[in-house]
Amino acid sequence: MRRRGWSPSVIGALVAAAILLAVGVLMAVYQEQLYSSQQIKSVREQAQILAASAAAAILFDDHVAAQEYVHALEVNPELLGAAVYGGDGRMMAGFARGTRLPALMTVAGTGSGNGYIDVAVPAGQNGARAGMVLLRATAEAPERRYARYFGLILLVTMGALVIAVLSFAQAQLARRAQELVEVNNRLHQEMDERHKTEEALRQSHKMEAIGQLSGGIAHDFNNLIMIVKGNLRLLKRKMPDATAGTGYITAADEALDRAAHLTQRILAFSRRQPLSPQRVNLSTLAQGLAELIRHSVGEQVEISLRLNGTWSTLCDINQMENVILNLAINARDAMPGGGRLTVETRDMTFSAPPPEVENFAPGDYAALLMSDTGTGMPDEVRRRAVDPFFTTKPQGKGTGLGLSMTFGFVRQSGGHLVIESVPGKGTTMIILMPRDKGTT
Amino acid sequence: MRILLAGAVLGWLAVFVPARADTALEYAVKAAYLPKFVPFITWPDAAFASPTQPVTICVLGNDPFGAKLEESASAARSGERAIAVRRLTAPDPNAVCQLLFLSGDAAIAEGTLDAMKGKPVVTVTDSGLKAHGVISFLIEANHVRFDIDDAAAAQDGLVISSKLLGLAHAVKQRGQP
Repeated sequence: MRRRGWSPSVIGALVAAAILLAVGVLMAVYQEQLYSSQQIKSVREQAQILAASAAAAILFDDHVAAQEYVHALEVNPELLGAAVYGGDGRMMAGFARGTRLPALMTVAGTGSGNGYIDVAVPAGQNGARAGMVLLRATAEAPERRYARYFGLILLVTMGALVIAVLSFAQAQLARRAQELVEVNNRLHQEMDERHKTEEALRQSHKMEAIGQLSGGIAHDFNNLIMIVKGNLRLLKRKMPDATAGTGYITAADEALDRAAHLTQRILAFSRRQPLSPQRVNLSTLAQGLAELIRHSVGEQVEISLRLNGTWSTLCDINQMENVILNLAINARDAMPGGGRLTVETRDMTFSAPPPEVENFAPGDYAALLMSDTGTGMPDEVRRRAVDPFFTTKPQGKGTGLGLSMTFGFVRQSGGHLVIESVPGKGTTMIILMPRDKGTT
Repeated sequence: MRILLAGAVLGWLAVFVPARADTALEYAVKAAYLPKFVPFITWPDAAFASPTQPVTICVLGNDPFGAKLEESASAARSGERAIAVRRLTAPDPNAVCQLLFLSGDAAIAEGTLDAMKGKPVVTVTDSGLKAHGVISFLIEANHVRFDIDDAAAAQDGLVISSKLLGLAHAVKQRGQP
């Protein structure tokens, strides 16, 4: 993750610095040109004033008056020299400081030399041409100008460097922060996983405890029911013919049957119900049940069978049939508007446990998959789906024991129950039964 | 343009050489001066019929200039106006002149000066004449100079540039009696 080379912000800062530098240089050049053009303009104005005032002196060839006008300009320290030229182009009057002015001047214009600029303008009055006026002004030597701008360039460069260093530091800080965020995220992820694992463990302990408790109660309760049933039967025998009492006895007996059935289911969940395992092929079993399933789910649900499983397993056939029917009815209830129910068997080999499955031994499994296109379940419902008495069905519609019984039976037979569900898409219940490699 | 420049250079050469007692040279300088006065003088609008009408320099009486005056006049201008030369043999009150040069006969000169009083005409009197016009030539140290009577110019409605006044040998200020 550690990146080498220049980060974008550093490059940006350097580019900004380069732009700053370029702008600085451009501005210096512009200023320089502005300065010199302004100086030329100012000198030209002075020359024009001299040309206007000295026009009469030039026209009338009055050297003394011309010299007076020129002399007046000597107070300006910027001027290296000034001269007035007559109509023939010869110098009439002038002064020069450390320079030599041309003796003859007939053409107006601007010129420059080493450290000076010349401005020559024509002199005249009211359209009458008299002669020329020349002013020579000091111009700053290039070295001095460059020295002036060097300071500026140095300042700008320093500023650019500071920006670059700052943004480099900033980029490093940002990188550190990014690394910290990543580490933090990983920590959170690990914490979440750990939390999930703990949750699953707790769930498993809870199921175990509920199973043991309810199993124990159901067992004893079943014995008590048997005693009551036996006594009822004796009572019935003692009451001959159809007296009014037999109706009560029959009603009580039926209620006891229902109670016995309930305890059976509780026992199934707590894996204490007596089972008689037989070798069975799930594909054959499902095929045989197809008609019954079709009747159970109704016409609104389309059923498709994909029975590709060939391996056999050991389980109580009656219970397994119950389980399959139970799952099919659950699937129907999940598709109130109709849909498709797929019953599928597969041979599956696992080298690692599927997610969220505990006590799983890798190996060969005969799988039965029951997929619907129903409402599906959110994660928190799916996790609790096998809890006893947990149901999302309306009061009175379900006992909340169907799936827990399935779970109990499957676990008791050495298999596993896996639930996959996507809310709005549907649910797949997967029963994994260990392969039985017996000879018959 | 070339001819104009050549004329100007010629005129300057004539002026540049210090005027000696030599009469021919003296009048060559004066001939050069007369058209040069024109750009420094402002006449009232009434003195001209149009903005481009030439300024007429009239020479009354005997003509000491010969062709020199035409030469210098043709090389000179004042704004939009060219400069023309006209010679008068006798005083003529109807003649259109903006600048009148008087020399020779003193009586005629005085009479003409009187007649021109109040009119927008720059009278120029030659050196040696006792009577003085708005501008009067004089010879000083072998140089041709001139005096200006700015008071008289003011009475005639004329304005003479201070640049010209600054070159004059003596100036009679306007507003003085």
